[in-house]
Amino acid sequence: MSTRAVRRPVGRRLAAFATAAGLLALAGCSSVTYAETPLPTTTPPKPTTSTSAAPAPTCDNATQSYDPLPSLPSRGEITDGTMRNIITKGYITVGVSADTYLFGARDPFTGGLEGFDIDIARAVAKAIFGDPSKIQFRVITANDRIPLLQDRSVDMVARNMSMTCGRWKDIGFSAEYYRSGQKVLVGKNLPDAENLALADLKGKRVCAPTGTTSLTKLRSINGPTVVTAANHTGCLVLFQQGKADAITGDDTVLAGLAAQDPNTVITKAKAITTEPYGLGLNKADVYLARYVNRVIADLEADGEWKAIYNKWLAGPLGPAPAPPTPVYGR
Amino acid sequence: MSAPTTNVPVAVPAGTPSGAPTGPPAHPRTIAGSIPGARTVASRLLHGTPGRMRLYGLLGVIAAVLLGAASANALLASQAAVERAANNTAQVVRAQSIHVDLLRADAVATNAFLVGGLESADSRAKYQDAMSRVASGLAEAAAAQPADGKALGQLSIHVQTYAALVEQARSNNRLGLPVGAQYLKQASAGLRSEAIPIIAQVVESNEGRSQAEFDRSNSSLQLLVGVAALLGLAALAVWLAKRTHRYLNPSLTGAIALLLVTLFVAATQITSVGTATRDVARGTYQRAVTLADVTTAANDARANESLTLISRGSGKANEDAWGANRKQVDASLVDLSTSSELRALWGRYVDAHVSVRGLDDHGRWDGAVKLSTSTATNGAANTFNAFDTRVTQLRNDASEKTVSTLQGLAGNAGLFAALTALAALLAAWLVVRGVGQRIEEYR
Repeated sequence: MSTRAVRRPVGRRLAAFATAAGLLALAGCSSVTYAETPLPTTTPPKPTTSTSAAPAPTCDNATQSYDPLPSLPSRGEITDGTMRNIITKGYITVGVSADTYLFGARDPFTGGLEGFDIDIARAVAKAIFGDPSKIQFRVITANDRIPLLQDRSVDMVARNMSMTCGRWKDIGFSAEYYRSGQKVLVGKNLPDAENLALADLKGKRVCAPTGTTSLTKLRSINGPTVVTAANHTGCLVLFQQGKADAITGDDTVLAGLAAQDPNTVITKAKAITTEPYGLGLNKADVYLARYVNRVIADLEADGEWKAIYNKWLAGPLGPAPAPPTPVYGR
Repeated sequence: MSAPTTNVPVAVPAGTPSGAPTGPPAHPRTIAGSIPGARTVASRLLHGTPGRMRLYGLLGVIAAVLLGAASANALLASQAAVERAANNTAQVVRAQSIHVDLLRADAVATNAFLVGGLESADSRAKYQDAMSRVASGLAEAAAAQPADGKALGQLSIHVQTYAALVEQARSNNRLGLPVGAQYLKQASAGLRSEAIPIIAQVVESNEGRSQAEFDRSNSSLQLLVGVAALLGLAALAVWLAKRTHRYLNPSLTGAIALLLVTLFVAATQITSVGTATRDVARGTYQRAVTLADVTTAANDARANESLTLISRGSGKANEDAWGANRKQVDASLVDLSTSSELRALWGRYVDAHVSVRGLDDHGRWDGAVKLSTSTATNGAANTFNAFDTRVTQLRNDASEKTVSTLQGLAGNAGLFAALTALAALLAAWLVVRGVGQRIEEYR
């Protein structure tokens, strides 16, 4: 019996050795498997909540600007601080759009900016410097317009900007230089597309750029689902990608979009708003506003305004109407 | 000594009704019946001092074999780790190439767009080359590392979206429609927010895998088993000497010496592979990774320069991104040895960029675009291409050298493992011979 008592532990030790050897061999031969490469966690972009903007302040003189200067002074005669800075700088900085076809858009062939607003801005540069190219364009979004004027990053904004009572609280405007109205653009495939109004687009996704009066108006209408983009062309991209069913905005802007996509149509429904365009200025720059108003008045008087209109807008909108009547006396 | 009467019930042959009394040795055909016989033989063999000599001799043989197995295994494990490190490094290089080519394609596309008009055949070809390399690189990378499959699948979706948006931008651009610019913006933004984070993750994961294998390549810990076995054999020799009063057993001593040499060679080989691998990890591998980072950041910077100009005054975010890219390139170039040539080339591009910004910030956008796309000596396009070409070339050299060095390191481990196994077998035979000799003498 004694031998068995000795033998058993030995047997166990042997087994332990064999197991250890086996495990070692396994450890060497087994292939290494790697954990799957994780995908980066992306935080989905915050959905732009349809927080309705504060009710627009009302007044009856939204289009009223300052009296124009009696005549254009020469550069040497100007003593106003803001204008002296512009003259010293050698060019005027103007915030414009690069994607509002016909108003302010980049020409893909030349890379240059062109359109109705661009020509108006150049006319101001020409008045100050005698040279329409003494201008620095700064491409901005609609949402940038007021902050950039307030911090003086731009001297002037020529970007289809509606004059409103609310905006007058933050910035100044020139006299009205163009009158537009908000309409809607839809896909031709919708039934009775040509006659649809915004209110008819119940449950449809309607796009408007952030920071525009068009968006404020769209949010006030019951029915459509609001979709936003950084600018109107962004809305057209969403439309072409099937992420929006319609776009709302000023008729002039929509004309530019419709010209880029033959599958769209601007409906015949009456414009739901009146959009008087003014050149945006810093609130304190009253002298510059009076100067610009003189430039606009001269453009309208000598037929230059009509020429610019016909150059850009006669095609889609017909020959130039009479320019809007300026209201002064603010 | 009689056979034990307490037979274990485990040994009941299949088919025997349970509970039936197990037969004593009357049925020797059953396994239960045969065990006592085997045990009798075993106890007779292991009985007394010769029996113990036999037992310890057997343990000695096992120790010799164990030592051989552990050494061979450690050698092969080290080889396998180095090979996997080479494969993972190759995958890092593939992923980085995809990363660089995506940004290069975007830099070319945005810059071509900036020029206005129809893009040049040259820049179109450059864009297509980069995207073709991305497409084939994705397929190769997915095949090379199954663990990357899912991530690369997602990346592939985003790359397709990017390419589709760029084509839409192009066709609208050719028609003179401003919506083309919007498509390009969306393409670039999507590339950076969706595709780049995935490829960066793939690069990071494979860098981690490479690092893990670099660490695993030194498997000398497994040799401790061999050391234990060797100590066991020495104990056997001492025990045998005490028992037999013969101090030198040539065979046993020979076996111990042979195993000692085997263990030493294995340890040396593994340590040298480990050291060489670590040198690669800190040397050419690190250099390849850093150069790839430089290439990536530089191409991102170039795209950001174009995007800043396209934004015409509202490109602060892109210009800030350019600044961040520049910092990254500068920092990486400091880390690199012999980078004075690269620093000079990069400096020339930075100068060109600063001039571009100077022009744009002072209202001369046209001049800025002209300089940014200029292939003249000091033009941004020319200076950037010179830097990009050189840094890419250096990176390719470094990564090729890394992979080939690693593959070379692993080369002769198989031969060493085979020799180790043979030596262990020879030692086992010597142990049997030495112990056998003493048993004979004992009788």
